[in-house]
Amino acid sequence: MNEFAGCPGSRMVDFRKGETREEAPLGKVQSQLRQWPVQLHLVSPTAPYYQGADVLLTADCVGYALGSFHTDYLKGKSLAIACPKLDQGQEVYTGKIKSWFEDAKINTLTVLIMQVPCCMGLVDLAQQALAGSKRKVPVKAVVVSLQGEILSEKWV
Amino acid sequence: MEQYLNMAVKEVITKFPEVGKILEEYEIGCVPCGVGSCLLKDVVEIHNLPDEEEQGLMARIAREIYPGLEITVPRVERKGKNRSKELKYSPPMKKLVDEHVLIKRWIALIPQVLEAFNAESTEGAQLVLEGVNFIRSYADRFHHAKEEDILFKYFDENSELLKTMLEDHVKGRGHAKAISEAVEKKDREGIVEHLMAYRELLTEHIKKEDEILYPWMDRNLSVTQVGELFSRFIEVDEATDRKGIERCESFVLEVEKKFQKEVIK
Repeated sequence: MNEFAGCPGSRMVDFRKGETREEAPLGKVQSQLRQWPVQLHLVSPTAPYYQGADVLLTADCVGYALGSFHTDYLKGKSLAIACPKLDQGQEVYTGKIKSWFEDAKINTLTVLIMQVPCCMGLVDLAQQALAGSKRKVPVKAVVVSLQGEILSEKWV
Repeated sequence: MEQYLNMAVKEVITKFPEVGKILEEYEIGCVPCGVGSCLLKDVVEIHNLPDEEEQGLMARIAREIYPGLEITVPRVERKGKNRSKELKYSPPMKKLVDEHVLIKRWIALIPQVLEAFNAESTEGAQLVLEGVNFIRSYADRFHHAKEEDILFKYFDENSELLKTMLEDHVKGRGHAKAISEAVEKKDREGIVEHLMAYRELLTEHIKKEDEILYPWMDRNLSVTQVGELFSRFIEVDEATDRKGIERCESFVLEVEKKFQKEVIK
C-alpha cells in the first residue's frame, strides 16, 4: 500500500527516518494505574475508583504514542480505554459514560484521543452522554499527534 | 532590569511614562488603572502574549529604561501550561462570563434610564431602586459572592491582582449604597453621579475579568480544581432562590423593552 493513500487512521507512517529523539531519562518509570480492568466494555461505571473521580477516557493508541502518559495524564485519575473505530457495541459506551456523570458523580472527564479523524468519535460519545445527562460535568478533549505531541487541550 | 520587573507597574510608568504607551500598544491597559500596584512581571505574565510579542515588548521597555544599553531581558515565567490566546473558558469560568452578560445588559441601559429620569416622580425613583436591587441581588450576592467565597480562595487573595478585583467589588457596593441614599433625598445629581460611576467601574471590571483574569485563572487551575469549582457553582445556583434570579432577568428585559434598547448578545 502506498504510504500516502487510504484512511489517515491506518495509513502507514515510518518515524525512523531522520530520527533525532531526545533520550528519555534512565530508570524505571512508576506506573500510575490504580485499577483493573480498564477496557470500557469491561469496567463497571459505578466501581469505587470512579466515585467522585477525575476520569480519563483514552483512545487505545494514545498510551503508546504519548511518552508521558502515566506522569502527565494518568496520575491521580481513574481510567477507561476504548477504540471508537474498531470497538463493537458503542451504544453501551454512551450509557456507561452517562452513568459516570449521573451515578458515580465523577468530578471531570478528560478524553484523550489521537489526531486521526476516526478518534474524534470518542469525544462525540462523551458529548452525547453529557447532552443526555441530568448532571453536568466539565469535559476536556486532548488531541495527541502520531509522534506524541499535545496538539490541543480544550474544554468541550 | 530585574528590579523593574518586580516593581508596581504604576511606579514604572510614573518613572518612565513611555512604558505606559508601549504597554498600550500591546493592548495592556495599565495606564488608566486607578490602582496600578500589580508588578510589571505579573502584568506581562497575565496577558499571556505569544513569545515573540513578549520579547518585542520587553526589549522596548528595556530600551526605554536603559537607553543606549544592551540589556538581556529574562523571560517571564508562567505557572500555567496552556499558552493559547483563544478565549475558550473552562465550564465554571464560562458560567461567570455568561452571568456578566446580564450585568452588561443593565449597565448599557443606565445612560438612557438617567436621561429620562425624574427624581421627583415615584415611577422614576422606583426604577432606580429596582436597578439598585439588581446590583445587590444579582451582580453582588449571586455573582460576586461566587468569586469571593469560592473562586478567589483557589488563588493568593493577597496578590495585587485579586486585591484590585476585591476593591472594585467594595467600590461597587459603595456606589449602590450612595444611589439608594440619593433616591431617598431625591438628589438627582447624586443618583446620576453614582449610577454612572458604577457603570464605568463595572464595564472595566468585567472586561478585565473576561479578557485577562479568568483566562489566567484557567491556565493555572488543575483539572481537579475545575471540576470542584463547577460543582460548587452549581450548588450555589441550586441554593439560590430561582424566583429572585428570574425577577432580575425580567427587570433587565422590561427596561430594555421600555427603552427599546438592543439586547447585547
